[in-house]
Amino acid sequence: MSLRGELFDRSKVKTEEVSASLQGELIDALRLGVISMLVLLLAGFLLSGVIGPLFALGSVEETVTDVLTRLAWLALPFVAYIAAASVARRYTWSDTPRALGLALTSTVLLFLLVSAGHYAFDYGVFAPRPSLQMTLSQTEAGIRVDAIAPGGAADIAEMQVGDVITAIRRDQVDLAALNLRLSQSEEDTPLRLRFLRGDEELQETVRVAIDSDKQLRALLPGLIIGLVFTVVIVFLPGQWAPYIALVGLLAPLLVGYFWVIVATFSYRTEGLIPLDSNDNFGGFTLENWESIFVGNIAGLEFNIWPILMTSLAIAIIMTFVVLLVSSMAGYALSRMNFPGRRFFLSFTLILHGFPAITLLIPIFIVLLRLGSIPIIGELIGFNTAGGIAMVMVAFQLPLGVWLMKGFFDNIPWDMERSALIDGASRWRTYWEILLPQIRPGLLALGIFAFIGGWNAYIIPATYSIGSGVSNLPVFLNELIDETAPVDWNQVAAVGLFQLIPIFIFFIFAQEYLLNIYAGGTKGSS
Amino acid sequence: MKVTIDNLTKKFGDVVGVEDLTLHIDDGEFVAFLGPSGCGKTTTLLTLAGIYKPTAGVISFGERIVNQVQPKDRNIGMVFQSYALYPHMTVFQNIAYPLKLKRVAKNIQHERVQQVANVMGIGNLLDRRPGQLSGGQQQRVALGRALVKEPDVLLFDEPLSNLDARLRLTMRGEIKHLQKDLGITSIYVTHDQVEAMTMADRIAVMMGGHLQAFDSPDELYSRPKTQFVAGFVGNPPMNFVSVDVSRSNGAFIAQADSLRLEIGQERGEAPAGYDGAVVMGIRPEDIQISGAGDIAGEIFIVEPLGREDLIDVRVGQHSFLLLASTETQYQTGEQVKLRFDMEKVQFFDPQTEKSILWQQ
Repeated sequence: MSLRGELFDRSKVKTEEVSASLQGELIDALRLGVISMLVLLLAGFLLSGVIGPLFALGSVEETVTDVLTRLAWLALPFVAYIAAASVARRYTWSDTPRALGLALTSTVLLFLLVSAGHYAFDYGVFAPRPSLQMTLSQTEAGIRVDAIAPGGAADIAEMQVGDVITAIRRDQVDLAALNLRLSQSEEDTPLRLRFLRGDEELQETVRVAIDSDKQLRALLPGLIIGLVFTVVIVFLPGQWAPYIALVGLLAPLLVGYFWVIVATFSYRTEGLIPLDSNDNFGGFTLENWESIFVGNIAGLEFNIWPILMTSLAIAIIMTFVVLLVSSMAGYALSRMNFPGRRFFLSFTLILHGFPAITLLIPIFIVLLRLGSIPIIGELIGFNTAGGIAMVMVAFQLPLGVWLMKGFFDNIPWDMERSALIDGASRWRTYWEILLPQIRPGLLALGIFAFIGGWNAYIIPATYSIGSGVSNLPVFLNELIDETAPVDWNQVAAVGLFQLIPIFIFFIFAQEYLLNIYAGGTKGSS
Repeated sequence: MKVTIDNLTKKFGDVVGVEDLTLHIDDGEFVAFLGPSGCGKTTTLLTLAGIYKPTAGVISFGERIVNQVQPKDRNIGMVFQSYALYPHMTVFQNIAYPLKLKRVAKNIQHERVQQVANVMGIGNLLDRRPGQLSGGQQQRVALGRALVKEPDVLLFDEPLSNLDARLRLTMRGEIKHLQKDLGITSIYVTHDQVEAMTMADRIAVMMGGHLQAFDSPDELYSRPKTQFVAGFVGNPPMNFVSVDVSRSNGAFIAQADSLRLEIGQERGEAPAGYDGAVVMGIRPEDIQISGAGDIAGEIFIVEPLGREDLIDVRVGQHSFLLLASTETQYQTGEQVKLRFDMEKVQFFDPQTEKSILWQQ
């Protein structure tokens, strides 16, 4: 039974040794931590040492590699902590002290390793920075000089221990302000310090030195942050991780939305905080909204309703036409064989990739000519909502046709044959049997088209110069252009106003989408 | 309704779907199209349905030539392998759809749908949607939808192949019973020879777009006219072995290497007239393991089928499938003696693959 022997020889399968001892696990954790650090180090060097210079070689100006490198350095210890803590996490709930001990010990060791590296390479807290080369502390009278480094900048300027600094030139400073000023200084920047020595008020100019102040004390905050971080990682429920990552990535977006909403209801904002005229928290108002309906923003007079109607008209015409044409074209492309079918398919794909902006002028001429035709010109000529919608439809169609073709491709041929044999005409089959089955696709495309039409800017702005036909995005731009100073809270209110119909649309569409899938229309195979 | 197919050819570009097919199906007859995948049986069916237009040839329903008639005007019912129920309609709407298209009055629609649904045993499911039904129930809905408009011709496109084995057996009986009851001319496409054998009055065996045979199941089984038919009809399949047939001392001998079999006059005479080797075919049930047998072989595989064991026996370098009772527990590697029932052997020309015994 040689075959059997070959196939089932258990002795060839090595079982992994399980390290159960605490010491072994600590080594595991440290190894993982060090490996992850090495990976990041390598990535950093690759970015700053290879990719960055390559870009520079091609005279490409960029800061991305630099930013990424610094990010890699910054994340380095934390990635190591996570790696080490992940080893400890298997005990989090069964043997908490053991998990904590393991994680914290490895964190301390890894921190020491990182700090040693920082020390050796003058990086992080040991990096050279502007310094006056004296030790200061804040007292009630001012900033007291506690010690002076011999031969340092302060020593050269003949400052003495016990001096109390009160101001830089005439500006009163406390320790925080001094440090801020210092951090913004460069080498040799003169700082004229005003200070008290005994009862005497003196002035002395200290020239800022660049010094790497290798004080081990400076490590403490980093260590504390590291330990807290590790404890959080050890106890973090695993299923939260994706949400944390998601929220982290979405944060800028969410903050933006938050600002828009807050801004529309306040006079003025400082960051995300609404302020009143005395710089205190508060100052809420409905005036921003009121002026939209009154029709006067910073002297710019307007009537919001025709603008809203134009927006709606463009969006609705577009949705309707795109759905109708795409679904029919998609059906034909999916089901019928005609000369030029393949060419048509690839051509529409190319059209979809064609940037609309390059066609602005030719389309302008076309619309202008169309506009001079009686009756038709009134509908789809230059400077009409119909004309704008038509151009937008043209740009949306390639995507729509492809999307619909895909949906029709997924309906089995038998379904259609069955309907034909049951006695339906081809039209009837299309309307009664096929269209209901691609409802989700129609809905998706409808949403695309509606939002595309609603938010359209370039085409409405180009083809409705200096007349009443303008939609909300164009109006929003006008608001920024023609009012000075721009009242951003007002702009935010118009922006949010523009969002309202989309919100309503989505609430209904979502319900409808969910209904479709709950209805089990996926049905027979 | 009589269905006549004369010299039907259907091509898709250069690809031949079916070529020069001639079939005459009698009124009320149940005909099965049998063949492996891609043999053109479904193409033929869809051409009958009017989905495809014939490239050449004539199709007539009764006396009416329907080549250019639209599917909706042919008054046919069709059941698909995928059921092809309309997922957005209820069972009632599905079954009523052909009536709705015929503009039958609402109350008559209700009556007819209820009637058909009751016959199909789905009368209590009319409010459900297809997605909420089991495979068997969906199949019944599809059948109901095909029957509700009282078609002249019923077409089945492998309707049972998506069902599990047990349900298939039940539905097989039901469809056959229903067809006999209603007397509707039916054409049934399948690749399962058991389905074709059990249900059909006549079977059209197809391969590569050509008709191989059109006969009753018994005839196909006992007097196959081509080697393909012999191999395709019957389960487990017929054993084939290349032999030399010669006449010696008034007896006929089929010989292949160490294998030496004596044939009776009735079956032996025709192949003996051939120069060179012919293909001999023998069905598994015509070979017995018997102490009195004169062929020695070794058992290679034993496959228990429940009622019998399917046994693969090696004789020299030839391999024979045969059926044996489960009472004797045969073991792999066992030496056995075989007895061939030489009154039932078939002979085929190795070049044309046509039967030497039953000329067309």
